[in-house]
Amino acid sequence: MNPPAFEYFAPTGIDEVIDILAKYPGEAKILAGGQSLIPLLKARISSIPYLVSLSEVKGLSYVDEGKEGVRIGAMTVDSDIENSELIRKKFPVLHDATEQLADPLVRNVGTIGGNLSHADPANDLPAVMIALDARISVQGRNGLREIKARDFFLDTFTTALEAEEVLTEVTIPFWGKRSGGAYVKFKKNTWNFSVAAVAVQLELEGNKCTRANIATTSVSAKSGRMESAEKILAGKELTHEVISKAASEVAASAQPTSDPYGTEDYKREILKRITREAIRKALSRAGEN
Amino acid sequence: MELSEKLVRGEGRFVDDIQMPGMLYLGFARSQYARAKILKISGAQLTHKEVNFEVVEVGEGATTGGPAALSHPVLANGHVGYVGQPVAAVYSDDRYVAEDLIDSVEIEYEPMKAIVDPEDSLKREVMYPGVKSNAIVDRYFGKEFTPDPSDIVIERKIINRRIATNPIEPRGIVAAYDGHKLTVWVSTQSAHSIKGGLSEALKMEPDRIRVVQVDTGGAFGLKGGLFPEYVVACYLAMKERRPVKWIETRREHLLASRPGRGVVANLKLYAKKDGTITGLKGEVIVDNGAFTGGSGEFSPMFIARQLAGAYYLPNAYVRAVSVLTNKAPQGPYRGAGRPEAMYFIERLMDGLADKLKMDPVALRLINAAKETYTSPLGMQVEKSRQFLESAIKELNYEKYRDRENVGFAFLILYHATAGGESARIKVENGRLKVWTGGNAHGQRHDIFIKTLLKEELGVPEDIVDVLKGDTDQLEDGVGAWGSRSSMVLSSAVIVAAGKIKEQIGKKHGKYTLKALLEGKWDEYEFFKYDKTESSLGANLVTVDMDSYGRVIVKECLSYYDIGRILDLDNAKGQNAGGAVQGIGQTLSEELAFDEDGLPLITSISDAGVLSADLVPKFGIKFHKSESPLPSKAKGIGEAPTIGVPIALSRAIEKATGKLIVETPIRPEYLLPEEKA
Ligand SMILES: Cc1cc2nc3c(=O)[nH]c(=O)nc-3n(C[C@H](O)[C@H](O)[C@H](O)COP(=O)(O)OP(=O)(O)OC[C@H]3O[C@@H](n4cnc5c(N)ncnc54)[C@H](O)[C@@H]3O)c2cc1C
Repeated sequence: MNPPAFEYFAPTGIDEVIDILAKYPGEAKILAGGQSLIPLLKARISSIPYLVSLSEVKGLSYVDEGKEGVRIGAMTVDSDIENSELIRKKFPVLHDATEQLADPLVRNVGTIGGNLSHADPANDLPAVMIALDARISVQGRNGLREIKARDFFLDTFTTALEAEEVLTEVTIPFWGKRSGGAYVKFKKNTWNFSVAAVAVQLELEGNKCTRANIATTSVSAKSGRMESAEKILAGKELTHEVISKAASEVAASAQPTSDPYGTEDYKREILKRITREAIRKALSRAGEN
Repeated sequence: MELSEKLVRGEGRFVDDIQMPGMLYLGFARSQYARAKILKISGAQLTHKEVNFEVVEVGEGATTGGPAALSHPVLANGHVGYVGQPVAAVYSDDRYVAEDLIDSVEIEYEPMKAIVDPEDSLKREVMYPGVKSNAIVDRYFGKEFTPDPSDIVIERKIINRRIATNPIEPRGIVAAYDGHKLTVWVSTQSAHSIKGGLSEALKMEPDRIRVVQVDTGGAFGLKGGLFPEYVVACYLAMKERRPVKWIETRREHLLASRPGRGVVANLKLYAKKDGTITGLKGEVIVDNGAFTGGSGEFSPMFIARQLAGAYYLPNAYVRAVSVLTNKAPQGPYRGAGRPEAMYFIERLMDGLADKLKMDPVALRLINAAKETYTSPLGMQVEKSRQFLESAIKELNYEKYRDRENVGFAFLILYHATAGGESARIKVENGRLKVWTGGNAHGQRHDIFIKTLLKEELGVPEDIVDVLKGDTDQLEDGVGAWGSRSSMVLSSAVIVAAGKIKEQIGKKHGKYTLKALLEGKWDEYEFFKYDKTESSLGANLVTVDMDSYGRVIVKECLSYYDIGRILDLDNAKGQNAGGAVQGIGQTLSEELAFDEDGLPLITSISDAGVLSADLVPKFGIKFHKSESPLPSKAKGIGEAPTIGVPIALSRAIEKATGKLIVETPIRPEYLLPEEKA
């Protein structure tokens, strides 16, 4: 339980961070809250010769309301998102997720940037950001670029970030007036991570659903959108039948694997039931607006 | 300050807190395969070539004289039998470097098809050339009998899967050698077991070994044992003449310590139509692991012998088998055979009640032993009917009997009193020092020792120092396990105190506290006891099930006969801790393996240990029928790990209508169908 040796940097500017990453391509990594990285190092699952901490870089922790959406700095800790009134009102799906993410100790240090960059299919925030159509700002030697959350997660522990790029900000665009979302997480019996979880974000017009995003956690190699299920909802009145059909479609498209937490079939069944619950909750929240 | 207070204040001194100049840190390169030949090892500092000792069994359930081919070599001897088995050792004076060195050891293997399932093991080729069978124990208990053809039969396969002991503090040792004497500081349940084991393993005279117990952060049966890593640490300390430390990681604990349970039972219970049980037949198969060195040679026999439960069982014939599998050796875990045996008979009793459409507690009452007798399987079963009647009252069973979510357990706990225990009391400069053969490893022995000394000698608690195990201070001793300390350890203290009193009486005419504290006294007592005592207990558990089939334990009530209560808080603490482990075993704790024998559980996060939010409120009431020992107490430590899984399984069975015959219960099994 002692990590292999590494060199530690704590620069004060983002450019310096990028320089160090560029100097040791593939050998340097960012250290944010350390809640995923440090356990990997201590268990010697990873060895990273150069760690570049973001802790001394100022101005990376904020939840700001802009004209088009809410911007969240990469080093914002989960508990700040959980406690943000703005997030709770505008994006309850994100509030749901941060409230159930890990435990208070982890939430007080784990960051949104780390949660997304780590791209663990069991992490809660990737699915939420995909469902919200969020955009992820990354900064590298060639400047700033924006990647859609839905294009950001490539595989287990793999993102669209280049080796010398830093995730700096997440932008969640405002949705229409009658919109709402929900995150339903089915936790493992004695552990924070989930057997399955699902994020749903909806927009309504009249009695029809005009926009529907669904993304899952823990049931595939990466968090991704469930487009075939979204299509079932889009343009329709969300009756009991429609919701059930979409939920079954989510369960069918997921690729869970059997383990001591349950068989593949069990996980699909759980996913089906929590998806139904999430759609209903999202619908009722959207309807209240 | 009380020991427990010191520990929660962070003032404990655990083995990993020990720092010594020149200390070496030891690490182990471990097998990646469940079963393989070793072709080549490179980059290792110590291998079997140099360190060719074998592990000796000590602690609860230790046996000697098993087949030599099956002894656990401290470092693998040409082949490996489980993932995590120590193959080679490395060391450095920097603990980070020691871990780097582990990563640099290269081992070439020729993998073989692993034997994973205990029942399959009986059908497979023998694991080692030269052994006759994969059954390392195969014996029958009781006598063959012909059941009455009109009898009702309940037949079940019942499984308690393997679980890790998971004390908060993992295993650990520091060893130092001065050219003559080897001194060992260790996290243990028994300094004397470790001393005896080391002496035998290293072939060293016992008086050249001193074993000192340090503050021990939980043990649950595991730490009565001697482990390969400990022998290697001692060897290295002697070879290098430097102190050596080895601290287990949680991952190593999950792979390569001595997990408990791991037992399959195929049993038939026979009964008359009125519910009177007439006989029991079948087999108990223990998943021994790849080597001896744990308790797998002892446990099938211990389980089989207890299968009458607390009932009158006129006929029984049970095969007790322990089989080789490609897993770490099975070891004792809180209850060590007792929870398994009671789980098997109690699940059968519930099955019988269902078949006869009887109330399960009424069925138990019919069958409770009216008189003390020796069951055909060999254990003495104490008369239990009266106790059960009072348990029904005290647990208010009438209130629950018609509910759909309640389970009841009736148990007999056999205390490991046999062997007795030692104590030494030394009085000097107006203070008392006490050493005992078994030592606290998370309990609070110091509290009741002080209470007893106050009673026996009139000394205030604050002048008594209860010290930890130290083989140089105490001639001999046994250990703290098997719900025994409140019985034999306390009795040793009482008798030793009595000896001092007697001496003072002789010298001064009569005993006075003044004479005690002004004098110098030193008394050692090995309180001999040959009999296995027992006590009765009952549990009642209620559950709620959510719509996903998740279990919420609502009430968890105990009614145990603990004789004289030496300390109420201690007793309550033992109940709560044991009940938490019982719930964990039933709902989530498991060391699972894939078909190649690769462990699926390698991190504490997946080990299924309960988190606080899943822990219900506990209630406990006591039955106080005094034991024949000087302390008049009876043990409690293992009662909840016996009773709670039984009552909880039954509660879930009632609430779901699904037959429960395995622990842990798999989540998919409990998922309710959706109403259309
Ligand atoms: C006990 C426990 C329980 C947990 N339970 C949950 C849970 O239920 N749900 C959940 O979602 N997570 C859970 N986690 C993980 C936790 O949320 C982590 O905090 C998160 O995954 C990583 O965030 P971090 O800030 O700690 O990042 P770090 O661990 O510091 O880094 C993680 C990875 O992201 C990279 N990285 C970090 N920041 C950036 C950046 N700005 N730009 C580029 N790369 C970056 C690092 O290089 C590293 O590869 C748990 C963790 C623990 C210890």
